[in-house]
Amino acid sequence: MTGFRKTGCGRIAEAQVIHFTFDGKKYEGRKGDTLASALLANGVHLMGRSFKYHRPRGVMGAGSEEANALVTFDRGPGRVTPNVRATTLELFDGLVARSQNNWPNLKFDFGAINDVFSMMFPAGFYNKTFMWPKSFWDKVYEPVIRKLAGLGPAPTAADVDHYANIYRHCDVLVAGAGPAGIAAALAASETGNRVIVADEQNELGGSLLCTPGTIIDGQPAWQWLKESIEILKSRQNVTLLPRTTVIGYYHDNYLGLVERLTDHEKNLNPDKPRERMHRVRAGKVILATGSIERPLVFAGNDRPGVMLASAAQIYLNRYGVAVGNNVAVFTSHDSAYEVAFDLSDAGVNVASIIDVRPTVSEVLLEQARKRAITVQSRAVVCRTQGRLKITGVHIAQMQDQNIITRPTHIACDCLLMAGGWTPSVHLFSHSKGSLKWHDDIGASVPDLPNENAVSVGACNGTFGLTAGLDEGAIAGGGQGKFSTSATEFGRGQTWQALPTDRDPSKIKAFVDFQNDVTEKDINLAIREGFKSIEHVKRYTTTGMATDQGKTSNLNAVQIASKAIQAPVQQVGLTTFRPPYTPTSFGALVGYRAGDMFEVTRKTSIDGWAEENGAVFEPVSLWRRARYFPQGGEDMHAAVTRECEATRKGVGIFDASTLGKIEIVGPDAAKFMNLMYTNPWTMLAAGRCRYGLMLGEDGYIMDDGVIGRLADDRFHVTTTTGGAPRVLRMMEDYLQTEWPELDVWLTSTTEQWAVIALNGPHARKLLEPLVDGIELSPESFPHMAVREGTILGVETRLFRVSFSGELGFEINVPAHYGRDLWEALIKAGEGYGITPYGTETMHVLRAEKGFIIVGQDTDGTITPDDAGMSWAIGKKKLDFVGKRSLDRADIKASGRKQLVGLLTDDPDIVLEEGAHIVATSGQSVPMTMIGHVTSSYWSAALNRSIAMAVIKDGRALTGKSIYIPMPKKTHEAKICSAVFYDPKGERLNVV
Amino acid sequence: MLSEKNRTILFMDQGVHLAPIMSGETEADGVTLINVQVRYSLRFKPEDRVAVQKLSKIDLPEKIGVSSIKNDKMVLCLGPDEWLLIADLSRKEELQQTFERISSKFVCSVVDVSHRNTGFSIRGPYAETMINTGCPLDLSIRVFPIGRCTRTVYESTEIIVLRKGEAEFHVEVWRSFAPYLSHFFEKFMMDVSVPQRETGGGK
Repeated sequence: MTGFRKTGCGRIAEAQVIHFTFDGKKYEGRKGDTLASALLANGVHLMGRSFKYHRPRGVMGAGSEEANALVTFDRGPGRVTPNVRATTLELFDGLVARSQNNWPNLKFDFGAINDVFSMMFPAGFYNKTFMWPKSFWDKVYEPVIRKLAGLGPAPTAADVDHYANIYRHCDVLVAGAGPAGIAAALAASETGNRVIVADEQNELGGSLLCTPGTIIDGQPAWQWLKESIEILKSRQNVTLLPRTTVIGYYHDNYLGLVERLTDHEKNLNPDKPRERMHRVRAGKVILATGSIERPLVFAGNDRPGVMLASAAQIYLNRYGVAVGNNVAVFTSHDSAYEVAFDLSDAGVNVASIIDVRPTVSEVLLEQARKRAITVQSRAVVCRTQGRLKITGVHIAQMQDQNIITRPTHIACDCLLMAGGWTPSVHLFSHSKGSLKWHDDIGASVPDLPNENAVSVGACNGTFGLTAGLDEGAIAGGGQGKFSTSATEFGRGQTWQALPTDRDPSKIKAFVDFQNDVTEKDINLAIREGFKSIEHVKRYTTTGMATDQGKTSNLNAVQIASKAIQAPVQQVGLTTFRPPYTPTSFGALVGYRAGDMFEVTRKTSIDGWAEENGAVFEPVSLWRRARYFPQGGEDMHAAVTRECEATRKGVGIFDASTLGKIEIVGPDAAKFMNLMYTNPWTMLAAGRCRYGLMLGEDGYIMDDGVIGRLADDRFHVTTTTGGAPRVLRMMEDYLQTEWPELDVWLTSTTEQWAVIALNGPHARKLLEPLVDGIELSPESFPHMAVREGTILGVETRLFRVSFSGELGFEINVPAHYGRDLWEALIKAGEGYGITPYGTETMHVLRAEKGFIIVGQDTDGTITPDDAGMSWAIGKKKLDFVGKRSLDRADIKASGRKQLVGLLTDDPDIVLEEGAHIVATSGQSVPMTMIGHVTSSYWSAALNRSIAMAVIKDGRALTGKSIYIPMPKKTHEAKICSAVFYDPKGERLNVV
Repeated sequence: MLSEKNRTILFMDQGVHLAPIMSGETEADGVTLINVQVRYSLRFKPEDRVAVQKLSKIDLPEKIGVSSIKNDKMVLCLGPDEWLLIADLSRKEELQQTFERISSKFVCSVVDVSHRNTGFSIRGPYAETMINTGCPLDLSIRVFPIGRCTRTVYESTEIIVLRKGEAEFHVEVWRSFAPYLSHFFEKFMMDVSVPQRETGGGK
């Protein structure tokens, strides 16, 4: 059935027949159609079921404002998009789409029972009913409501497409390429300004695409449009972005644009991004976003076949599709007449024009008479007829909002409604521009901009082609001197709800079509005491659907205003928020999908670890080898083996992620004294010291071993995760507190690969490989640093130990890291060299009672709490945090102190984070005195060990404490945190 | 520093491996990883700049965001007292001698960051756009002319961008961020290598 396709009308290629499937049925369309226009050409109006009542719905509009015709667009697994507006879905050969929110099918939907029992679902019904029994909410009510009410099902498969993003800059961004936007772009681009023109549609032109009869500057509109676009294309400084929606307008003229790249293409190239987000910083924004026609609110205004008059004009003049054969027009605005005339001229019977206004311009009446169209003024469609499609309307005369005549019936297969125009001020509103109410058009228009933005054309309330073109050109810096054949745009009235001859409690006059909100719902909300539109909106959900109330907001406001008997300005306007239209998550994510979401920093040795089966763990942005399981070992077995091998032979560890900062300058030591608690002045070049850094609050913030390479040069190490904040804090103090110091800070974290060798064989392994450094204990004592070469590569060699064993940390320029690592593994074969990961490193350090900042400290631990008062330079006059250490509460007793714990049962490894109580058998809530911070199985001691912070813990040494766990309460004794080799003799093996 | 006789047997690996698509179609376009170079972060007082320049014979731009490029040596002024010098590996010994001279006469900080950074050369008509996929700066030639350099971001990664020619950029990034950055470039190269869309003017 193609009786609705009008030859000689429209812009699409009539000869190019393509095929598509809707709800499993095959249809014919034309290249250039949207799904909606193609279905209409086949006489199909019914495209969906409504959100709440499951009422049959036909297409209402022809653009992105569509509230009814939401479909699921299926391009195969991973490419299923629900809730696509049929009016914006471009047809291609083989397209597959489905209707939504119905079962078993679109024509017979079981859920329509909701419509019959709709009196049970008034506004806010879910807050009133379903409250009892309470337990039913989660298991029964909520899932059932979810299943019955709603949109298309969310896709279950992961999105297989990829998305792109880009930053752009321009002098002028034109949002919307209708006549005003094109005129603005032509003028703005003449001077060489960088101009971006974005339009959500596949073709630029806006309203010009459906007004071919108009003449602009002596040319037919389509010719003018074609030439204008050619001019813009020819200008190097212009970027035209069709299929690109400006989704949001943010601070400082920063806008988000989503460009759709593949959804319309028949042959999908999987290498091509589906969408691209343009993040644009514009010097000036010209908003030419047009306006959206408003439905009229009357009984049965949602019947399939009832649609916006402007949409009918677009379908006819742009797509060559008549929306019906016998069309009635219901209007309160002159603009509908032009549509009726276009339809009539295309051979469609116009059954009647029903105009609510008492008088209609004589010019329009004359035009109607010429076409033999009857016009009834002061008339109203008081109800509609038909089930899955409109079959007729009942018309009555009206006076003062009351029906005064018996309704008469006329047959029609389509009813157009024209309730006036709503300027699209969404983007202007995003940018925090203020709006003002214009009573004469019954709408808000832009008032004061908050950004360098200009609204032109219909979105500014400037209706009419000539005025819009002129306003656009002037905003673009040109002169607006257009002449067009367009007649005066005309006037209209905006209405609240229109009267019906039926019991008003039994009818439904829809305001928000997508969320199924009726005029009655809004009135109910007002009766229940909601006075602000923001509250009415949330109570009724009007304007809260994915269309953000593009066709409903102003009708809702006006109904509320009438019910409250207060002016619209007092009722208020709802706030528009980005995005303008529903936007895919993919577009927001852009290139940063999957692995690209966040960087995974890898050391130069990471590749070796991966090839050798390491299990990794994330440490800040780095990934670090946690352990190296062999032959099916679990973590416990691997760590036990790695610990033993290190304590008995030699272990090798990648410590490259440690933060490193080079502090250079004559005032370097002075700066170090101020930043760290320890004294640095007397530290000789070539020696190292453990450094402790506090925050201003006096709590431990970071630590690390620091080597003095020369009088004016320190090699500072920080924790892995702390590197950026330590450098930032140092720079902050240097620049703001001590700018007089001659010292500079350079991050060298990534300059050096760091390989730690720990174990009694470490020196023997290293000796033959190192040049220029004497390794004997006498000339290279513990806590010393030397510069020389290893296998010919420059090195900073530290003799330090985080394990309690003889230890060296070899720093080499990072690109050599892996090759040196492999050379050491090879050289160490004879010593049983064993690579170990962070888990073993943690165990070895815990056996020695060395803290990990962030694990054994939590931002409330002072040096004394950690038992590290020895790290404070007693004679120092100042350092960051010093003053805080004198605060009364820091000095008071009762602070949590770091201690060691030994469980009575040596096999119990406590859970880190477990709470500690002083006595067993307390009733809940127990009095907690601390918690476990570190807990491991110690292979060296053949038992478990733990560290904890406990109130006044040091004074409790030797006492029992209790750790209540779900199944059992464990008992442990407080001890020193140095579990292994307390005298430190193992550092001195020769 | 290293004399001929104890030149190392160890290999250097910058840890970045670019997909073939990155090399572009001609010499004039594509992304390449620049071979290991020497890099120094030079810090000294702005008032010493002219004297240091005279002594070192290294061009030290005065204005932040300006670079000097001479033969194989680039100096980028990144802050009021901060310069980044990038040069061919063969310059290492000569530069170290120069820095010793400077250090003995001026209050300064010279830190070797050769292996901290990796450098990418990005060339071709899409160079600017490619960097703009993640870098929010206006890189058009009239705002960001040849020789202009800056420390900025690419997505959440810190980078340094230097414009070497109308369609040629040098991008520096810390070593462990380099593979991540290059993956973005790779995705972009895949996108631009598919046929361009029919509509749309300009670039």
